Amino acid sequence: MRRVILAVTATVAGLVALLAFKSHSPEGSVDSQSAPLSGVGTGTAGSDTGGANVQGEAGANSVKLAPGERAVTGNVANTNYGPVQIQLIVKAGKIVKVNVLEQPTSTEEDVQIGQYAFPKLIAETLSSQSARIDTVSGASYTSGGYIKSLQSAIDNGV
Amino acid sequence: MATKSRSPDAAPESGPPAAGATARAAAETGNNRDMSAGPAAAVIRGRRAMAIPPRVVLGLIAAGAAAAVYLWWASTPDVNGLGGWLTGAGQICGLECGYSVVVLVALMARIPPVERGAGADRLARWHAMGGRYVISLVSAHALLIIWGYAVEARQNVVAETGTLLTGYPDVLMATVAWFLLLATAFVSARKVRSKLRYETWYYLHLYTYLAIALAFSHQFADGSAFTTDLAARFWWSALYAVVGAAVLWYRVVIPARDYVRHDFRVAGVREEAPRTVSIYVRGRRLRELEAEPGQFFRWRFLTRGLWWQSHPYSLSAAPSDDLLRITLRDAEGKFAALKPGTRLIAAGPFGAFMSAGSGHPVLLLAGGVGVAPLRAMFATLPGPVTLVYRASSDDDVVFRPELDSIAAAKGATVHYLVGGRDAFPADPLSAPALRELVPGVEQMDVYLCGPPGMTAAAAAALHDIGVPRRRVHFESFEF
Repeated sequence: MRRVILAVTATVAGLVALLAFKSHSPEGSVDSQSAPLSGVGTGTAGSDTGGANVQGEAGANSVKLAPGERAVTGNVANTNYGPVQIQLIVKAGKIVKVNVLEQPTSTEEDVQIGQYAFPKLIAETLSSQSARIDTVSGASYTSGGYIKSLQSAIDNGV
Repeated sequence: MATKSRSPDAAPESGPPAAGATARAAAETGNNRDMSAGPAAAVIRGRRAMAIPPRVVLGLIAAGAAAAVYLWWASTPDVNGLGGWLTGAGQICGLECGYSVVVLVALMARIPPVERGAGADRLARWHAMGGRYVISLVSAHALLIIWGYAVEARQNVVAETGTLLTGYPDVLMATVAWFLLLATAFVSARKVRSKLRYETWYYLHLYTYLAIALAFSHQFADGSAFTTDLAARFWWSALYAVVGAAVLWYRVVIPARDYVRHDFRVAGVREEAPRTVSIYVRGRRLRELEAEPGQFFRWRFLTRGLWWQSHPYSLSAAPSDDLLRITLRDAEGKFAALKPGTRLIAAGPFGAFMSAGSGHPVLLLAGGVGVAPLRAMFATLPGPVTLVYRASSDDDVVFRPELDSIAAAKGATVHYLVGGRDAFPADPLSAPALRELVPGVEQMDVYLCGPPGMTAAAAAALHDIGVPRRRVHFESFEF
């Protein structure tokens, strides 16, 4: 019994110590987070088959287009957790790629929800070629913002 | 004392008298000379094989656990809010689970340097203790992740559980694995365990391999430490592959190779005492096994009723190049009926008993049929040896003629402590009684083998006498 208590205490103490260390990281480290952020959740990023780039705003103006491709940027859609804006890469009237220009990143949860939801939303967009896609459960606000921005981009001309 | 074995040169009673091998077995082992060329021949001949001490094994395990935490550390930029804390804790628990299940399997992989250094009994205890810990970790991982994700997604936990099961790759399989592990833990709990046959429990236990396989893919598919880190995936997979290969190699390939190479067969069975039998096993080129007195093999007799069970039994005589002997309790008479020529699989040798010696005078403390490995050591150990043999009745004393003649031949001492507790004025294995019986016991290396209650009591007494723990050696099997 003493051993059990010891094991539980040591484990919990270890976990708390590790997590506390990470949660007290200085504000300055926020900058460095944007580095792993771009490209996160984009297994096919940069490939020709059309993937998605989750980028900060800086990436908006620096999209490289292949011949025959054009970029259509959607409106900023505000959600409870922050703005969402997407950009479509269109080739011959088809959506071949979706970039996320802006997304809620104020908390770690926001980032994680984005990592989880955007690849699904983008995959659905590419397969349906429209804004008539399902929201991702557990990410309903993000999905809503994404769909709004997507709709506006499609309206702007695909 | 069984009258049957009073004449040591008689052929084993149970074997057919005409069988050449049986007669030979008796000739070679019935007299007081052991099967090997001379005292301690096995020790002198055997190279000091590599042994990893227990402390080093634990150190390696801890280093691996730290590396698993590092994977989380390196892949986590920041921890924020309740959801972040819960998810982070869940991730660390998950990584440690993925790591520790491999360690638990490795402890049971029968890797020779580890077996020799730490001892099979200690490894089994670590495995049992670690198993309970890992089950708790797995459960904590699952619950923390559900809760943490629910908080982050602003969902209730029931809905989030559904999302996790259906929306995240391979989580469903991992959940099945979790339930398999919980079921294993349930049948391993002491209360349930005591109601099951050892073999039933053992084979149910093998479902953990299935659980590990089922849970493997969700680590890479969902674990943020792995999704983008190719190197982490590589080393993690390598760990699983190496341990898997070790299990296959040491638990399947080597025993199969030895089965073919040494062609083990039962040579004869002799009743040593009521419900206690010695089994003689003949084989080819057994010297290559480098087995030493005090070591054990895991035996699987290939008969219709016994092939599916494998048990560890110690050598009860020093091995020769073509003959081994084990002595065991045969309460149900299953082994007495073994026919000469029966094939068997012997996996081993295992056991760190003998290699632990330090050159001091030796006390061998035996209880009941636990005398078997000590009997082999008694015959072969060089230098002054004292054997104290505790048995609850005359019927339980085996090898008395053999022990007496070994003692006479090498001038060693045997004390028989026979009878229930009331046959003695005080507990014969208490500290004062032992000190009186064996003068100078505090300077000795002590080897203990017997039923768990007896070894525990004797170990406590030796501690009271002041024998340092490192000089008290025992292996106990409580499966």
